[in-house]
Amino acid sequence: MKYEIPIGPIHPALKEPILLQLTVEGEEIKDVDVIASQNHRGIEWIGMNRNNPVQSIYIAERICGICNISHPAAVILAVEEAMNMDVPDRAQYIRVIQCELERIHSHLLWAGVAAHEIGFDSLLHYTWKVREKVMDILELVNGNRVTKAIMMYGGVRRDIKKEHIPKIKKMLEYYKEGFDKLAKFFLEDKTIEMRTRNVGILTKEDALKLGAIGPTARASGVKKDVRQDQPYFAYPDFDVKAITPDMFTGEVVGDTYDRIVVRLLEVKQSVEIIERALDELPSGDILAEPKLVKLLMDLKKAEGEGVGRHEAPRGEVIHYVKLKKDFEPFFSWKVRAPTYSNIMSWIPMLKGCQIADVPIVAASIDPCISCTNRVIRINNDGKREIIGGDELHRLSVKKTKRLLEGGS
Amino acid sequence: MGVKRMKELLEKLKEKKIKFEIREREEGVKKKGKRKTVLVYTPRENLRDIVKMLIETSEDFPHFSVCSFADYGDYVELNYHFSTGYGKPLQETNVILRVTLKKDDLRVPTLTDLVPATIFSEREIKEMTGIEIENIPDGRHMFLTKDFPDGVYPWRRDETAPKETRKMYEVWK
Repeated sequence: MKYEIPIGPIHPALKEPILLQLTVEGEEIKDVDVIASQNHRGIEWIGMNRNNPVQSIYIAERICGICNISHPAAVILAVEEAMNMDVPDRAQYIRVIQCELERIHSHLLWAGVAAHEIGFDSLLHYTWKVREKVMDILELVNGNRVTKAIMMYGGVRRDIKKEHIPKIKKMLEYYKEGFDKLAKFFLEDKTIEMRTRNVGILTKEDALKLGAIGPTARASGVKKDVRQDQPYFAYPDFDVKAITPDMFTGEVVGDTYDRIVVRLLEVKQSVEIIERALDELPSGDILAEPKLVKLLMDLKKAEGEGVGRHEAPRGEVIHYVKLKKDFEPFFSWKVRAPTYSNIMSWIPMLKGCQIADVPIVAASIDPCISCTNRVIRINNDGKREIIGGDELHRLSVKKTKRLLEGGS
Repeated sequence: MGVKRMKELLEKLKEKKIKFEIREREEGVKKKGKRKTVLVYTPRENLRDIVKMLIETSEDFPHFSVCSFADYGDYVELNYHFSTGYGKPLQETNVILRVTLKKDDLRVPTLTDLVPATIFSEREIKEMTGIEIENIPDGRHMFLTKDFPDGVYPWRRDETAPKETRKMYEVWK
């Protein structure tokens, strides 16, 4: 007997509105359909019709709260290519530091959510406590925890001051010391291993064909990382290597566990990058064109196109920008957030899983779409029954307990 | 695609007399690296052949990112953003396949059977620009809601663009 279960449009595992239509037979998921058309904000349209290019940096920042450095980073890369603009060395380093700070906080946020999805709430609280350190540094350096408004065409808007450096270094020490503990909790814990090993497998072939990116692709053994393949900002100086799970476990399975491994190792990698960047931070200006009016005039006169690709915590974010002479907004603007490419991998991942696995598998790609608290289960006689988020969460927790007692 | 593989692709394009352009931009502070882009002016009838060539000359599989679009009045530009050669430091090349279409003949063949990742972008292009995708396996709306009016295409700059747009505070009234 086949049943259809819609999960979403709003759901705790999916942080923005999206609908997963599952076809299930008993507990097993047979087919998945993803329906994204829930809430279109028309951000590209605003950038192409209403805003001037500088305003568009700030609207790009609001595409996603967690990726509030990544989208501006990609849009400025695209515009700098279109205008053929040079950026001061110091600004390039500060951009790298900002991007890596974002990666640390985003991956830790995700790790906490993942722990919550399998009913391990004490670990959620511990991870988020650890994450607070980097949030404090973000606030110290930028004056704000999210939407930092730091990126600008031709540089950055705020410098990293001398007095910030010892505090950032202290934070890096904290993460270096705490990493082993965090890795032990996540990677050696029996419960987490049971709930994530061999669950939600994405094969390398599927990852390549479906265009998966970021930790999702790397966990399946695709060594793809924009910072390595086509470095930008100051990344060529750091020789970044794409992290795959075999570096830690010796094999690539491509399951949820591997995606945890990749993200945790990336936190460590980011700490190392920031440490080097602080030591080698060049002196000099932070903006190529400090006069905003002149910059806006230059943007209006510019003609050209550019593609900005940035390795965001969730994968590659790509912006395409076309500028036309005497046309103030972007003539064409296309934003592709990482989840756009990763959503398709849900389909092979979820097939064959149990309903109780949906929260952790769906969360394992770190979806950046948005969230609800209920699921409507349509019974065979067409009657609708609402399973609350609490109920779904309870099912997931129950499975953890069942597994601990030796069930399946 | 390593440098050798890239040359192979460019040779094949030359053989078919397809125009292309190579763009480079230097990045990095102490150690310099080049961001390479190959822009291929793709005639619509050769689009599928060129994608096949791209797959053949790629070591893994070409990564498809997204489609972008620009409206020039009489004609439109559709760009397929691919990248190949990832996995090794500084070896990746962006490949943009640019298809130019006349306004009165807006259609392109589907690529979903060759590159499965294109389905979302093709659905998006269909609803946002009104370009007909021939043989698209799934023609539902991607991002716009089900009840979005027909014949209104948000990315266009002509009479089919959305006319009445209201600011948020006007909606609240």
